[in-house]
Amino acid sequence: MKPSDKRSGRGIKTMLSIFLACALLCGRLVYLQLIKGDYYRSKAEVQQLGDTVINAMRGTIYDRNMHVLAQSASVWLVYVNPSKVKETERDLVATGLANILGVDEETVRTKLSRTQNGYERIKGQIEKEEMEAVSKFISENKLSGKVSIDPDTKRYYPFGTFAASVIGFTGTDDVGRYGLEYQYNDTLTGTPGRIITALDGTQNAMPNQYESTYDAVQGSNLALTIDENIQHYLEEALKQSMTDTQATYAYGIVMDVKTGAILGMVSLPDYDLNAPSKLTSEELYAQIQAIENEDERSNALSNARNAQWRNRAISDSYEPGSVFKVVTVSAALEEGLVNENTPYTCTGSITYAGNTYNCWKHGGHGHETLKDLLKNSCNPFAITLAKGLGTDTFYKYFTAFGFTKNTGVDLPGEFYPTSSTYVSKEKFGTPELASYSFGQTFQVSPIQMITAVSAVANGGKLMRPYLVDSVLDAEGNTVKKTEPVTVRQVISESTAKRVVTMMEDVVATGTGRNAFVAGYHVAGKTGTSEKLTSKTEKLYIASFAGFAPANDPEVAVLIVIDEPKGDHGGGAIAAPVACDVFEKVLPYLNVEPQYSETEFQTLFAESPNLVGKSVTEAKNTAANSFKVKVVGGGTTVTRQSPEAGRTISKNGVIVLYTDQTSEAEQTTVPDFNGLTVQAANQRAIDSGLNIKISGASLTSSDIVAYRQSHPKDSKVALGTVVTVYFKTTVGVDDMAE
Amino acid sequence: MEKTKKLKWYHKFLAPGGMDIMFFALVLLLLGVGLVMLFSASYPYAYYKEGKSTYFFERQLYFAIAGLVAMLIVSKVKYEYFKLAAIPLLGVSLLLLVLVLFLPEPVPGFKRWIEIPGVTTFQPSEIGKLALILFCAWGMDLQHNAIISRELSKTEKAKKFNSIFADRLGGMFKITKATFPTWIYGGLTVVMCGLVFLEDHLSGTILMMGIGGLMMYIGGFKGKWFLMVLIPAFAFITLLIVYPEIMEKVSFLKDYMQERIISWLDKDYSPRGSRWQTNNALYAIGSGGFFGLGLGNSKQKFMFVSEPQNDMIFSIVCEELGFVGASLVILLFALLIWRGVVIGLKSKTRFGSYLAMGIVFQVGLQTLLNIGVATDSIPNTGISLPFFSYGGTSLMMLLFQMGMVLAVSRYSRVSKK
Repeated sequence: MKPSDKRSGRGIKTMLSIFLACALLCGRLVYLQLIKGDYYRSKAEVQQLGDTVINAMRGTIYDRNMHVLAQSASVWLVYVNPSKVKETERDLVATGLANILGVDEETVRTKLSRTQNGYERIKGQIEKEEMEAVSKFISENKLSGKVSIDPDTKRYYPFGTFAASVIGFTGTDDVGRYGLEYQYNDTLTGTPGRIITALDGTQNAMPNQYESTYDAVQGSNLALTIDENIQHYLEEALKQSMTDTQATYAYGIVMDVKTGAILGMVSLPDYDLNAPSKLTSEELYAQIQAIENEDERSNALSNARNAQWRNRAISDSYEPGSVFKVVTVSAALEEGLVNENTPYTCTGSITYAGNTYNCWKHGGHGHETLKDLLKNSCNPFAITLAKGLGTDTFYKYFTAFGFTKNTGVDLPGEFYPTSSTYVSKEKFGTPELASYSFGQTFQVSPIQMITAVSAVANGGKLMRPYLVDSVLDAEGNTVKKTEPVTVRQVISESTAKRVVTMMEDVVATGTGRNAFVAGYHVAGKTGTSEKLTSKTEKLYIASFAGFAPANDPEVAVLIVIDEPKGDHGGGAIAAPVACDVFEKVLPYLNVEPQYSETEFQTLFAESPNLVGKSVTEAKNTAANSFKVKVVGGGTTVTRQSPEAGRTISKNGVIVLYTDQTSEAEQTTVPDFNGLTVQAANQRAIDSGLNIKISGASLTSSDIVAYRQSHPKDSKVALGTVVTVYFKTTVGVDDMAE
Repeated sequence: MEKTKKLKWYHKFLAPGGMDIMFFALVLLLLGVGLVMLFSASYPYAYYKEGKSTYFFERQLYFAIAGLVAMLIVSKVKYEYFKLAAIPLLGVSLLLLVLVLFLPEPVPGFKRWIEIPGVTTFQPSEIGKLALILFCAWGMDLQHNAIISRELSKTEKAKKFNSIFADRLGGMFKITKATFPTWIYGGLTVVMCGLVFLEDHLSGTILMMGIGGLMMYIGGFKGKWFLMVLIPAFAFITLLIVYPEIMEKVSFLKDYMQERIISWLDKDYSPRGSRWQTNNALYAIGSGGFFGLGLGNSKQKFMFVSEPQNDMIFSIVCEELGFVGASLVILLFALLIWRGVVIGLKSKTRFGSYLAMGIVFQVGLQTLLNIGVATDSIPNTGISLPFFSYGGTSLMMLLFQMGMVLAVSRYSRVSKK
């Protein structure tokens, strides 16, 4: 064998080639392990570490009295691990889960066929019963590790539709979508916890490997300025009004005039927060379902939902109409242009800068003074004041009362004035000056209007409205407290007081008479405007803005009735709603009624305590002011109805029960509809009932009952106090037909 | 006075000299490291799959012991006697390679295994590779003079052919004495490759082709033949890389082969499908860094790297032993090849030389392809790593062949001090 033999040369060449390839592979290792090592390591860790998120409980929303309005609760979610479910088990799992959870069997099957995956969610937010059923299903069929249950959270709104447009709701992902849930999402959302585990390739926790847990931090709680009771009063009143007026929408706000805190805010029709996507109006839903075209149908549905979720009290805008005259009068008084006794003669129309403006009252109001302007809602007088102020000064007050900006209330979707809703200062000329003075040709939002009116009530200080009183941590400690913000002093305190007095007259004797609440000195202004959205039919917006008590205003109420059918005047349909609200809210807020001497003497008396007295003695005590009816054969009074200390009408009935066993005697409630105060009172006494008179200025002679708290022909105990609501249809117009 | 040893009958079969200790030591070292790594890499999978962590290790250990015994016995045999087995072994393996295509599949979807019920399963191609090496070594030794001859063939038909073509076309087509052997060995390689290819066994086909080619190369066949195969092959591979879409038109590439090439070219292709295994091997290799996570500490072997005891075991070596350990393993293989080549070159006979080099080059080729796949340097073909990957019969075959190299070493000058 010679070394020069070909095999040696070629053998060595082959060997060297292999060595070269080995060197190249080592070079490849340098690249993979040393240069790109960190990259691959991080990639590996991502799949090696199981990162299970523990949902953080979303914070609770309370009203101002710490009643729960929105709360998250622990529920469960079910998922499968398709990589572990054998093909032979798919039918069992799909049918089983479909039966228990009511999910589509085919969907489950599709998810199970994704065998590359270790996690496919089947259904979230399931309740305890379903969770237990699934749990039983798993253990019975030995599906542990194949079908699993994890904690999940769900948002509950205990009162359903209550304050829906204010609270808003969350999506299935627990993220706020509307209202305060959206606005304060970051505050309400907690920090999710995590469990980090070592996983193997089939997504199982590895034996004997580390596991670290980071606890979830619960979200902060919100305590609202909304008062559950006030909100309820407002909702009830507006709902009644929706029924009475057949309006398309109705919205209202109750505000603490001293702080700007919103005590109640309602936008009707509302919806159930627990099922926000369900249309409240079944009629509308049926209409939408009838649409043939699928795209159109889903569009219509989506639009209907958005319309339903819209908080019209802050997002909509409307022509304020006569309510705005409060601003015009305030400005004129503040500028010293006029005083209460400044005279004016209304001829029914005024010509200014080439345009003729009519007063709503044909033939005019004749001779009047400034005191009568608001009471009569006189347009020519308002225009005259504006003319005196001039465009610059008028615009200064227009801006100062906050009509060129949003109020900054802590809710999403607030209306922001734009060039299509009002005219900028540069373009503001005499035609605008004239029409703006009585609240026409521009738009404001309800929240802007009540904020401006509240400024008058609050000694001229314009407050920023707000809904969240404080942010609380999970233990209930206050983390953040909202301090009321004074935006600016719009008019002086003395001017404000003078305007308030004039506004009280509006309710006492003017167009706002239907908002009168005996003893509470309500001040306010009515407004009616025509909506220009429809060309075919005449649509109106009726509103009333007011506050009480006039001597030291505490609470303001704005009521807007949007597109009422039939009567459409603010004084006729909005003021009674405000009356209803004031009447309940003021006593609730412990505002002491201050009856005038005549009011008290003619109408009311306090029921004396007669329990324990002998029948004769009781009769003698009560006989002066009340009618007495004795039930039972005993000699001593054991019970009385109404109980002692109630304010009832003079000559009301007090029923005295003389033995323990006697049943409360029943009587039938009569129909008070259409009766005057006196007639209603008489009819009540005849039936052995007492009436509480609601919503009537005693000085009006033309008021009649229109509603009663107990329906006619219902059976109630003798002596029961039935509230009867009165209103007038005369002299409350503020707009020309 | 020396006493004459009495020779027993079997002594004429036995080699008298000592074997190459270094080669023996390298084999033992690789086998030891391989077994330890097999245990480390396989225990999670063995636990999940078989419920017993030592399942693969134990079986591999038994085959390793049996293989070592076989190796020692074979190493003692006078290697000239291996020649006797050249033709029968080739015959048997061709028979088995045909048979395997018609027998039932022990592993569904894979035609490459034959099952001996109750005993084991084995791949005929494993035997085929050895048969090819042995036959080539024997035949090329026998026909050596003809192979290296440049003389024209003297047969009548060849003369007639040469009279027409020998002086035309640049002498490309002329029948020399080397022509017939070229067709024999080239043809045999092609036939064996073809049979393995019919098993849908791409990696076996490539290996078989590499072995045949290398044997012919060291056997002294003319360089132009290799260029005639290598240049078009290289051109074709380049074309595939530059224009992957051409694969659609190449009918002999099956779908799964195409997919493997696509998933090699496109690193983002089907991460949960055909690239899952490769990506996880890369994650394992990268996670190892310089010093590795330490023996036994791989995380990727927990069901991320699919079947970590098989083709991808090198990625677990990289993860646990780091760049240092992985390089040392490559170095061990390189040393084994070097020592095998030395044994071959120092062999007194051409047959011993061809046999030793053929066997270690086969090991080298398989190692390169395996590591190339694990590091995503070449498309995923599915080749096991000698001494490391799980596979009893395959390990026994390997050790048997190591025994043959050791048998050659007893006659090589290196083994003498």
